[in-house]
Amino acid sequence: MSGMLAVYQKELSTYFRSPIAYFVVAVFLLGAGYFFLYNIFLTGDATMAVTFQNMGVLLLTLIPVVSMRLFSAEYNAHTMELLLALPLKPWQIVLGKYFGAVTMLLLMTGGTLIDLVPLYLFGNPETTTIVSGYVGFVLLGMACLAVGQFFSALTQNQIVAALITAAVLLGFWFIGHLQSFQTSYALRSLFGYLSFALHFADFIQGLVRSEGVIFYLVVCATALTLNASYLQWRR
Amino acid sequence: MKPSPAVIVLESVSKRYGSKRVIHDLSFTVENGEIVGFLGPNGAGKTTTIRMIAGVTAATSGRVTVAGYDMATQNADAARQIGYLPEHPPLYDTLDVSAYLRFVAKVKGVPRTAIRTELERVTAACRLEAVFRYEVYKLSRGYRQRLGLAQALLGKPEVLLLDEPTAGLDPGQIQETREIIRSFGEDHAVLLSTHILAEATLICRRVAIINHGRLLAIDSPNGLQRVVERTNRVTLQVTAPAQALREELLSVQGVTALEIRASPGGHPVLSVECQVDAREGVEAAIARAVAGRWELHRLERQQPTLENVFIKYVKETPVDGETA
Repeated sequence: MSGMLAVYQKELSTYFRSPIAYFVVAVFLLGAGYFFLYNIFLTGDATMAVTFQNMGVLLLTLIPVVSMRLFSAEYNAHTMELLLALPLKPWQIVLGKYFGAVTMLLLMTGGTLIDLVPLYLFGNPETTTIVSGYVGFVLLGMACLAVGQFFSALTQNQIVAALITAAVLLGFWFIGHLQSFQTSYALRSLFGYLSFALHFADFIQGLVRSEGVIFYLVVCATALTLNASYLQWRR
Repeated sequence: MKPSPAVIVLESVSKRYGSKRVIHDLSFTVENGEIVGFLGPNGAGKTTTIRMIAGVTAATSGRVTVAGYDMATQNADAARQIGYLPEHPPLYDTLDVSAYLRFVAKVKGVPRTAIRTELERVTAACRLEAVFRYEVYKLSRGYRQRLGLAQALLGKPEVLLLDEPTAGLDPGQIQETREIIRSFGEDHAVLLSTHILAEATLICRRVAIINHGRLLAIDSPNGLQRVVERTNRVTLQVTAPAQALREELLSVQGVTALEIRASPGGHPVLSVECQVDAREGVEAAIARAVAGRWELHRLERQQPTLENVFIKYVKETPVDGETA
């Protein structure tokens, strides 16, 4: 446990000593702020629904930038050699890094809470819908990070890791659209179940369904298990 | 005398990458209180072997044990007893020296209350005080190497694995680093790979020579030198007619072959290199045979160096390791 905690603390120190984290947080907050203002002035409704939708897409583009370095940078700096030689089990390395990235995600998400101030000052928003939207957003981000971290472990090249992650995440986001082209009920259900966007849409509507929560957590668990197994296999 | 149990044990270890076999049936031990040098040309398998002992990569077959722990099953327990400096110092450029060492100390399980003293100990041993607060990317090559060594020393490991520890250091730093290794090796097991043969002679109790993934020899530097004494050479300078000198020298018992070179510029002195066997007193017999008839200017028996030994072993290994 202490090994994982040390990796986690090292990850956080690394984030805050490199410009890329500040850049990602700044771009995300600027983007989210822009979408919030645009949607509020366009619709005049005190709701975060459309803003959450936009934030989800923004997240898909920024997650690969956060996750690409998680393992690729370790390979390039030859520090993976150190991590593998230290008394750390693969899952401790994987979880330490993952929780570091999730902390960054929570900080990014926390930054958008400022949007709620004018919403509550000048309107009467539905608190439960906002809370469920945030829960969905964090779960979506956690799933995306786990996928991105796995692909980062597969290659030394950060750009390749980012591109594969972006492609896979976009695939999971848009896979729900394939439902329209299917006559088979099983396939329609499968595409619907695998869609990041459709599950997220439920959360935005205020529906915290156990199916959605479990889906995102299963994606996280699968990607992280594959990640740890890959490290073990590389040995 | 204090018992010196084997701390690093390799038993018939082999390693394959896909269909390519890079390590063949390697067996040797490193005992407590000894420094073993690992010599071999580039691509010989030194780094792969050290990585297997460090637990970074697993052996395909055979058994590696470190401090009694099997690296295949008790990897994490063994890791607490190992200090490892890879070929490229594994450093986080964005951290500062103290944060980096603190991270390694925490992962190695150094108690929270002891971390500060432990950091001071390795910082002093590796002379890092001046850069303790510097970010790692600002460090010179020498400091990076020493920081790599400092992290390996953290947690007082029983075993030190060093892959080219003095590469890139200036002569002063090389001297200091050797001193650190030598003093650590007095009561611990150290395995170090190096290209610098003089380094192996200076600080290693035993030297292992490896090529194409096979262990060719392991012995003390003196022991290895004795093995090649049979190919010893005696050089002499004589003023004499070449043909008569050749006949005279070949008639001396112990001289197996010779090469005569005329001195440049028509000078009457000839340079002769004799291949002689290991028998004592061959050079005295040569001196008697030559000095009685001609003018002998110089006679010298060349001592075999570790370099000769290394070249002899490496040249004798077939290029295709599978067929050896």
